[in-house]
Amino acid sequence: MMHPSDEPLWDVVEVSKAYPGVLANDRVSIRLMPGRIHGLLGENGCGKSTLIRLLSGVDRPDSGEIRLRGRPVALTSPTGARELGVSTVFQEFSIVPSLTVAENVFLGRWPRRALGLIDWETMRRRSGEVLAELDIALDPDAITSTLSVAQQQLIEIAKAVAADAQLIILDEPTTALGLDEIAQLHRLLRRMRDKGHAILYVSHRLDEVTALVDEVTIMRGGRVVSAAGKTAVEVDAIVSAMIGGDVREHYPKERNARPQTILRVTGIGSARGVRDVSFTLRAGEVLGLGGVLGSGRTEIARALFGLDPLTAGSLEIEGRRLRISGPSDAIRAGLALVTENRKTDGLFFNFDGRANISSASLPRYSTFGFLSLRREDAEAASLARQLELSRGAEDKSVRHLSGGNQQKIVIARWLLSQARVLILDEPTQGIDIGAKLAVYRLINRLTAEGCAILLISSDHDELLAMSDRIAVVRQGTIADIRAPEDLTHADLVRAATTEIPTEGRTAA
Amino acid sequence: MKRIFDAQLLGPLAAMGLVTLVVALTTDRFLDPGNLSNLALQVSIVSLVAIGATVVIFTGGIDLSSGSMVALLTMVLATLVKSMGVPLWPALAGVLLLGALLGALNGVLTAFLRIPSFIVTLAGLIAYRGLALMFNAGSPIFSLDPHLEPVFYGRLLGIPLPFYYLVLFYGAATVMMNNTRLGREFYAVGGNPAAAKLSGINVRRVQTWAFAIAGLMTAVGAILMAARLNSGSPNYGQTLELQAIAAAVVGGASLAGGRGNILSTLVGALTIVIVQNGLNLNAAPSAVQNVILGLIILVAVGFDMWRSEIARIVGGRAARRTEARRGA
Repeated sequence: MMHPSDEPLWDVVEVSKAYPGVLANDRVSIRLMPGRIHGLLGENGCGKSTLIRLLSGVDRPDSGEIRLRGRPVALTSPTGARELGVSTVFQEFSIVPSLTVAENVFLGRWPRRALGLIDWETMRRRSGEVLAELDIALDPDAITSTLSVAQQQLIEIAKAVAADAQLIILDEPTTALGLDEIAQLHRLLRRMRDKGHAILYVSHRLDEVTALVDEVTIMRGGRVVSAAGKTAVEVDAIVSAMIGGDVREHYPKERNARPQTILRVTGIGSARGVRDVSFTLRAGEVLGLGGVLGSGRTEIARALFGLDPLTAGSLEIEGRRLRISGPSDAIRAGLALVTENRKTDGLFFNFDGRANISSASLPRYSTFGFLSLRREDAEAASLARQLELSRGAEDKSVRHLSGGNQQKIVIARWLLSQARVLILDEPTQGIDIGAKLAVYRLINRLTAEGCAILLISSDHDELLAMSDRIAVVRQGTIADIRAPEDLTHADLVRAATTEIPTEGRTAA
Repeated sequence: MKRIFDAQLLGPLAAMGLVTLVVALTTDRFLDPGNLSNLALQVSIVSLVAIGATVVIFTGGIDLSSGSMVALLTMVLATLVKSMGVPLWPALAGVLLLGALLGALNGVLTAFLRIPSFIVTLAGLIAYRGLALMFNAGSPIFSLDPHLEPVFYGRLLGIPLPFYYLVLFYGAATVMMNNTRLGREFYAVGGNPAAAKLSGINVRRVQTWAFAIAGLMTAVGAILMAARLNSGSPNYGQTLELQAIAAAVVGGASLAGGRGNILSTLVGALTIVIVQNGLNLNAAPSAVQNVILGLIILVAVGFDMWRSEIARIVGGRAARRTEARRGA
């Protein structure tokens, strides 16, 4: 093991970067030491991403200096940054699904033989060595698209190691991972740290950050508000530095459950592996669905919302038996689904905020096919005010909004559609603390109005705090429903992992 | 009401203004009333077919079949009127209906059988021309009906009728895209089909509608084509589909779907025709005209692709200026 030296590997000194209308980084300084895992935290729009873009050569700073081992360097392109030993794992992976693991590990730098032909033997051997060194159990010949998201992420890291990167930057690496996978990633990162790599780790999951990092830098409004060494690596200190105040109530849970049943699900099944799921949901109640990735929670949501046809069982909303043959029937019956990934199947990036909010309510605004634009405008604007969307969000393309505001837009869509039962699939994933609190308050408001909520979350603290009851999902069915008081964090982990789920994680 | 779609009209309008200015300054006869009304006639057929092409592009598809469908429909019209003795007006109605149905067929094959629209309509491009050749042993049919020609050459208050068709159909298309549920659904499906489905929009039905509208507008184009020469021919409409797509693209419609302004397509069609007209009046050979048309399409799409970069460069300067002022 190398000893952490006092000499920073990368020293970012007072860099500033402006984008149209916003000073994204304002004299930001950060020192990345070899052999240390450095956490970078802050709310959405605080300038973290900009800093990463500067360090990985995607953008160039307007002023300030970036030094490698004390020498000022210019990071003029992503290729240039890679040559200087910086490897960045972005949220959107840069691996090619149709290629093998080995081909991806050496993507673009395949070992060559004479005449420029690829030296397959060397490539397979060396990628095997890299994977073995990292203790990653993957077959170099496996086709990448057959692997789980977590395994693909490990390939990204193997790629960094194969490229001999001294600095590895990870941007929200665990959003798509299950518990075991997160643990495996953390083990891998610790090992790399011990070998002397510098690691810059960006995440919203505070529990995870405090468990992993050696030091943290916190940003707010484009500036560093707490430099490494000044903040204790513990949740409360980080939260208050991030949002710039004291957070007394992390989870503002209100209990609004009423006696009357609003949704009754009896023995439903679907071709996607949902089997014999039964539960009831009362007005104002939050029913949490706990379980690991691939346990079938999202599939239950899909079946309820009419995306996958039911192969068995029935649904009743407010006593009326439902026939759902697609999302439009579900929406008409008062169901809503906020999906896990707002970027791929939530938002219309060609629309402004207003049209995004109204997209599930078009039937209500149309008479003989003509839309009442004035009513649409008025109601969307009033919702935007209620949800404290950033000013002018209705008129802006949603691509220019922060993650938190985008999430509010998606939820606003279902408030406008007058949903009675909302299915929220990982509603706070990838949004900052301030926006998370806004989502929790929104859950309270909805339940106070009598809506019922089915909450799917992999954040166990959130699930325990915000649910009135928790159903543990395992292999497509509900194994157990209990009150959160009768469950602990540890119970959930245990309940989810007692039977090792097979879906999506068998190594190829 | 301010809509994001409106800003998209400005670029194409500015480009057309520039082109018009250049042509007007370099060509004496360009502004003659005779030439301008000739221009309206020239642009009308392409522009009307381009409405359908654009709507399909908005939903994220493409229609390559319209040129061949025009040939087929003129032959159907000619056969109905000339060989079967069907009166003109019912025959025209039949052609409009047939166009819409053929378009809907493209839509069903694309949306329900999940064959990419590029392939479906490429097959149509080939097959419809073949079908057209099966009528009258592949020969054109002339002198259809004395009442047909005025449909194209007629005038109202001294203005050629095609001008009114443009106003009527582009007006209706603009209202459809901005003020109706279907129009909004076209944009939604083109922008993000997965999100559209989750919003309760019947994506397949919407895609089918887009192609049906394209078929209807192709039929309108076919009727004007037949009226212009009072005949039907299996050779009509060659490369018309490409001109229609070019008009949409020069007008700024994104081939990725979800973005664009239907009125911009008219501007795009006018831009192309004005350039062609200017070259014609200056006696440029048609080979040169084709090369220039190709360049226009490249530049127009290039501008669309580089828009964000251009905005960043321009906007970046502005932001720095603002920042400097704030600092001062």
